[in-house]
Amino acid sequence: MLDISFVKSAIPKAGALVVLLAEGGTPSGLHAGLDEASGGAVTRALEAAGFKGRKGQSATVWAPAPGISKLVAIGLGAPDALTPDGAEAVGGAIFPLISAEPEATLAADGVAMHVAIRIALGVKLRSYRFDLYRTMEKPEDKPKLVKLAVAAEQPTAAKNAYAPFKAVAEGVFMARDLVSEPPNILHPVEMAERCRALEKLGVVVEILTPKEMKKLGFGALLGVAQGSAIEARMVVMHWNGLGTAPAKGRGKKAEADKPICFIGKGVTFDTGGISIKPAGGMEDMKWDMAGAGCVIGLMAALAGRRARANVVGLVGLVENMPSATAQRPGDVVKTASGQTVEVINTDAEGRLVLADVIHYAITKYDPKWMIDLATLTGAIIVALGHEHAGLFSNDDTLAGQIEAAGKATGELCWRMPLSDAYDKQIKSDIADMKNVGTRAGGSITAAQFIQRFVQGRPWAHLDIAGTAWATKDHPTSPKGATAYGVRLLDRLVADHFEG
Amino acid sequence: MACGCWTGWWPTISRAEDRLPLAARFGAAPGGFSARAGLGLRPGFCPLGQTIALDLAEGHEAAGARAWAALTEGGTALEIDARGMAAEQAVALATGAALRAWGPRNPPRGSLHVLADAPEEAALLWHQAMPGIAGNLFTRDLVVEPANRLTPAAFVERLRALRPLGLKVSVRGPARLAREGFGALSAVGRAAASGPYLAVLEWPGEGRPIAFVGKGLCFDTGGISIKPARGMEAMRADMAGAAACAGAMLALALARAPCAAVAVLAIAENSTGADSYRPGDVLRSLSGRTIEVVDTDAEGRLVLADALHHAIMAHKPRAVVDAATLTGSIVTALGHHHAGLFGNDAALRDAALAAGLAQGEPLWPMPIGKRHREDLRSNIADILQCAPAGQGRQPDACHAAAFLREFVGDTPWAHLDIAGMDLAEAGNPLAAKGMPTGFGARLLARLAMTPGAGRPIPAR
Repeated sequence: MLDISFVKSAIPKAGALVVLLAEGGTPSGLHAGLDEASGGAVTRALEAAGFKGRKGQSATVWAPAPGISKLVAIGLGAPDALTPDGAEAVGGAIFPLISAEPEATLAADGVAMHVAIRIALGVKLRSYRFDLYRTMEKPEDKPKLVKLAVAAEQPTAAKNAYAPFKAVAEGVFMARDLVSEPPNILHPVEMAERCRALEKLGVVVEILTPKEMKKLGFGALLGVAQGSAIEARMVVMHWNGLGTAPAKGRGKKAEADKPICFIGKGVTFDTGGISIKPAGGMEDMKWDMAGAGCVIGLMAALAGRRARANVVGLVGLVENMPSATAQRPGDVVKTASGQTVEVINTDAEGRLVLADVIHYAITKYDPKWMIDLATLTGAIIVALGHEHAGLFSNDDTLAGQIEAAGKATGELCWRMPLSDAYDKQIKSDIADMKNVGTRAGGSITAAQFIQRFVQGRPWAHLDIAGTAWATKDHPTSPKGATAYGVRLLDRLVADHFEG
Repeated sequence: MACGCWTGWWPTISRAEDRLPLAARFGAAPGGFSARAGLGLRPGFCPLGQTIALDLAEGHEAAGARAWAALTEGGTALEIDARGMAAEQAVALATGAALRAWGPRNPPRGSLHVLADAPEEAALLWHQAMPGIAGNLFTRDLVVEPANRLTPAAFVERLRALRPLGLKVSVRGPARLAREGFGALSAVGRAAASGPYLAVLEWPGEGRPIAFVGKGLCFDTGGISIKPARGMEAMRADMAGAAACAGAMLALALARAPCAAVAVLAIAENSTGADSYRPGDVLRSLSGRTIEVVDTDAEGRLVLADALHHAIMAHKPRAVVDAATLTGSIVTALGHHHAGLFGNDAALRDAALAAGLAQGEPLWPMPIGKRHREDLRSNIADILQCAPAGQGRQPDACHAAAFLREFVGDTPWAHLDIAGMDLAEAGNPLAAKGMPTGFGARLLARLAMTPGAGRPIPAR
């Protein structure tokens, strides 16, 4: 894994050197030093390459000085126009250009510290690679970069400022690892065990088995799980950043100490069940646990940076399989809330899992508000594509804060409607509700279903089916698992809920 | 701002009234009607006749509509008791009843009596409401027609018939469209026996006009990318956007609206034939931009591209708003309770949202993201018409909006994707199931009357 350190400005003895230049800017810091040492050769080479510092522009000068394998110049665009996510994108663009070198130095002594940190974060986020199962790849085909030294004017201050971002990046990587794992390895029992890694960070981890969930009346979640050979799990993760005792629901806690809850859908593989999916693309259903993966990564991020907030993360982990014991279309299940559901389509299973977990979160933790994340519907992809997640909420303030956090982190979301008219589409003839409506407004009726379990509490639902996985590279996320939501929700907590 | 409210001008009011399926009167004393609706009445029959319960749960228009729909078979006269309600609410009850009284086969003219506390005030408001209702119902008259009756040529004739109301109607036919470079509209319409046409309706008035641009596909087979047989009959309504624009123009004319407006309607039939345009064709649009065709069933955005460009270049509008039954994707996204609203201008978006809310025609804002535009990169032309199928699920409504945006430049623009709203679902109070709703006509007319929608009207 890429290690990022902050060092004093000095011309490195080996590896690649990355320099940053704004449009119309002049070399400063290390860049200027190296240029001077080379008798202006670096500047001449960059001029000859047509490098002007435009945004997204880059140029390489080979062997500019003894020991330095190459110099990579990166354009920052118009001075003062660089946004935080623009800086991260610059970092993301740097990584592929230096990944063949084992070590590199980033000359960030000419830019402001907060810019340097976001560029470093961009390099880090882009460097992610899930390498566990490649046994035949030649070493020369693998990225080699393991050490990036960021030369800064005040290395200690920069290191301290970078520390929380590093924790968030580690949360992102944890989520990406979980989402990338194949479904034969990462099944509900294994995924629950992996949550134990959070204990090192001070997170209290509770794992509930089917026996306990049965006692709690989790008829909907267990109905989904009953077709699989592997048992379901619910994992509850407590981060008590306010220093108060883990919330166990005993007595009346002070309003300020009430936790916030994040709830994730964790279907480790979704065949669709008896309402089986078409074969084409079914392999993608290994990431039908991305909502849960994000919640686990988020808990790692919050605990890693010692967030001053009481947070409970809850994930419902099941596998949806067709089998002799699988639930059938037409079955009626009783949720933990007591409401009954007619299962019309066994492939609309995520909302069944969430219904029970959300009910548990409310009754046990009495949260200030809760947010659920789920790769819930294909309809949200038809609605919004892969750039925005669908945001549904019964609380305009919370929704506004989520949208703002999304913009600040580049994890965009778009508000979608909820109303009684849509809710009517899930009326059932024999139960309190059915688990699907028609194709029309499919993401909205799914959200209406979940809303029936939130008891009017402040709540938001992020449908991340379009954003959890990328089929091509993006600046700060290589193709594959994106960990969408970790940074957004970490930012939400940081901006509004840390006291 | 001169562009204010509806004017109650007597000679025109009678014209609006003539276009309604019922005559409404407002009075303070009961009129001896045998069918009566009111709050707290029990539905059923009494010695005097039928009694109908008013249910305000979904608002007053819905209540009035449901009351009219509850009339027993053959009933054409109703008294609604609106005493204790504001005049606006009494008028909303009448509006709902009038909308619901519409039928496709000229039902016998009904009569409605509304008992109101302030009948004169209500009557004045009713005069202001009638043009919008007439516009909505004109839209329905057009949408309900089957495609063998409402051919592109017949559609154009229906529009020409609006001239006596003071609307200027001009029409470009197939030859002229081809000659003048309407390459996209010409390609879509050329395989059909009739059309294509570009019809322009102008309402003279103060200031730069607001422009409405409508998709008027009298029938959409899908062309070479032919649609599945199932449900294809609904494609007779694929001209509902153009019909809504025409309905809005009628409303403005009947109201003698003080502000200028223009509607540019792309009217065509997307047929299959030996001369059909093909997937893979590259078209040169009126704007000069070239378009690579991917799917001939994504024809709406093509005809709109030319119509939008023409509307902006020829009429220099303060704002342009298009309405189209454009994508199935928007139905998956929003279902049947909101139309999708896209655009490039926050003020116009807010004005459109407000107009929709006020008219009970709700819109929901939708995004045009960076990646939506990137998805439309073509290897051989300026833009792809849509993202190729076979790459999984596509946000086609967003893609279509990203496509259209390329043809509006910096003119304030809003795009209403009304697929899913053109025909009534079960439970829609204002229209019987499967019947046209007239969605958009009242909204657009109201938007035209909204000061500040788009660029300010220059002072004269």
